[in-house]
Amino acid sequence: MEYIITILTFTGITLIGVLGSYMVTGLTGLFSFGQAAFFSVGAYTAAVLVKDFATPFPLAVVAAMSAGLVAGMIVGYPTVRLRRDYISLVTFGFGEAIIALLNNSTNLTGGAMGLSGIPRYTSFWVVWLSVAVCLTIVAGYKYSKYGRQCLALRSDELAAKAMGINVNRVKLVTFLFAAAMTSYAGVLYAFYTTYVEPGSFGWIVSAEWIIIVFVGGINSLTGSVFATFLLTGLPEMLRFASEWRIAIYCVIVLLIINFRPVGIFGEFELSYKWLRQLGKKGAKAA
Amino acid sequence: MSKLEAKGLCKAFGGVQAIQDFSFTVDDRQIVGIIGPNGAGKTTAFNLLTGVYPIDAGEVFLDGKLISGLPQHEITQRGLARTFQNIRLFKGLNLIENVMTAADPYSSYNLADVFLFSRRKRNREKEVRDMSRSFLELVGLSGLENEKPENLPYGLQRKLELARALASKPKVLLLDEPAAGLNPSEVQEFIQLVQRLHDQFDLSVLVIEHRMEVIMTLCANIYVLNFGKLLAHGTPAEIQNNRDVTTAYIGEEDEACLL
Repeated sequence: MEYIITILTFTGITLIGVLGSYMVTGLTGLFSFGQAAFFSVGAYTAAVLVKDFATPFPLAVVAAMSAGLVAGMIVGYPTVRLRRDYISLVTFGFGEAIIALLNNSTNLTGGAMGLSGIPRYTSFWVVWLSVAVCLTIVAGYKYSKYGRQCLALRSDELAAKAMGINVNRVKLVTFLFAAAMTSYAGVLYAFYTTYVEPGSFGWIVSAEWIIIVFVGGINSLTGSVFATFLLTGLPEMLRFASEWRIAIYCVIVLLIINFRPVGIFGEFELSYKWLRQLGKKGAKAA
Repeated sequence: MSKLEAKGLCKAFGGVQAIQDFSFTVDDRQIVGIIGPNGAGKTTAFNLLTGVYPIDAGEVFLDGKLISGLPQHEITQRGLARTFQNIRLFKGLNLIENVMTAADPYSSYNLADVFLFSRRKRNREKEVRDMSRSFLELVGLSGLENEKPENLPYGLQRKLELARALASKPKVLLLDEPAAGLNPSEVQEFIQLVQRLHDQFDLSVLVIEHRMEVIMTLCANIYVLNFGKLLAHGTPAEIQNNRDVTTAYIGEEDEACLL
């Protein structure tokens, strides 16, 4: 039972990270290979503050999200002006630079040895309550003028500008929002595992989140949530197959991308309206 | 009074002078046409006006205020809206959302309203949606709100672009070959639509078009471009009888052929 709860908690934390990737990559179409770096910024900031400076936890959370915002500003401000392919390069470089920084500032972060002895302040319930709040906010964002503008500029940047949309600003706002949220996920992670090391925040994590977004359906929040469960749960379910499980995982991802390029859910969103219509159809059939 | 005025526009791409010393005015509530053979620089002129390319030399004034040099979105917000020659609709959004995006920059709510699901956000969203719906009705697309633009036939996509441009509250509307790809009856319908919108919104319109029936019915004033230079300028009747213009379009009469 405890095992399952641990897995579900990690799934929840991953889900918040995936939501960040969903906003930047799914909604706005910027390939960010540095999302996990924000995760590490949040995790380390809060952990160091609480451990070394005895900062109260809520204050540390705020500080961690602010640090995420500052980091987001440093990468985001110059990159939103760039063409899309360069954005992936810059964010990738930024992510790896952060890892290098964490590895080398041994005094503060413990370097490659990692930082241990972080108190355990988060639990299953804290994580899933956070997930609920984040999901609601992201859904609200998607169905606001901001979300529409993101989708518009993803589809055609020139036309978006010609419609009076301040493209750079919308990109930056979305990027910063995602950065703050991902930093928060990092805090949850650090105070759940009680141990952080730079190696667990590399670009592979960012890439994994992007894969999840694409498998779920590029435009679909529902898809992102579903795919997070599927793809973080899958390696656990496949544990019996030991060394084959990564191969099986890859094959499943490849099959989905090949036979359903728009992702499992495409643009579909689960909504109250859809459920009601389904109910009506069901009643008619019966 | 002139609504939109360009003075001495110049633009070169490498060694090619795409636009050379092009000046024109669009008066208040006037429909003005730009014609010219392919590659004459008509669309480039539009791109200079709307800030897609930086201008090499020259100035653009909207309502007497200098707008050249401003970023694209600001030029649009000042009241210069356009449609595109090769239709550019937002594919991830449905019809009404396409129109809403153009009205959104004026929608006054912020991120805090989004996070708190405030009443202000709900009210503004409803206002924008209702307004966008009325624009869709105006161009004859009501009932198709939730369709995806790529599923529409070509003629309706053109209308959607028009509705979207209108939603950005333009003072001057730039239409880049709005009748391209329409059949003759659709062209007639389109002419009437532009006329109606022009009357209803007190719009000034600048239109690029190859279909002469569109230009000759709608425009009070016509500018003819050839190889980036202004070739002629006048009323439809004057242009039709201008020897330079016919030469540029059809070429010179060969003396030998007349024998």
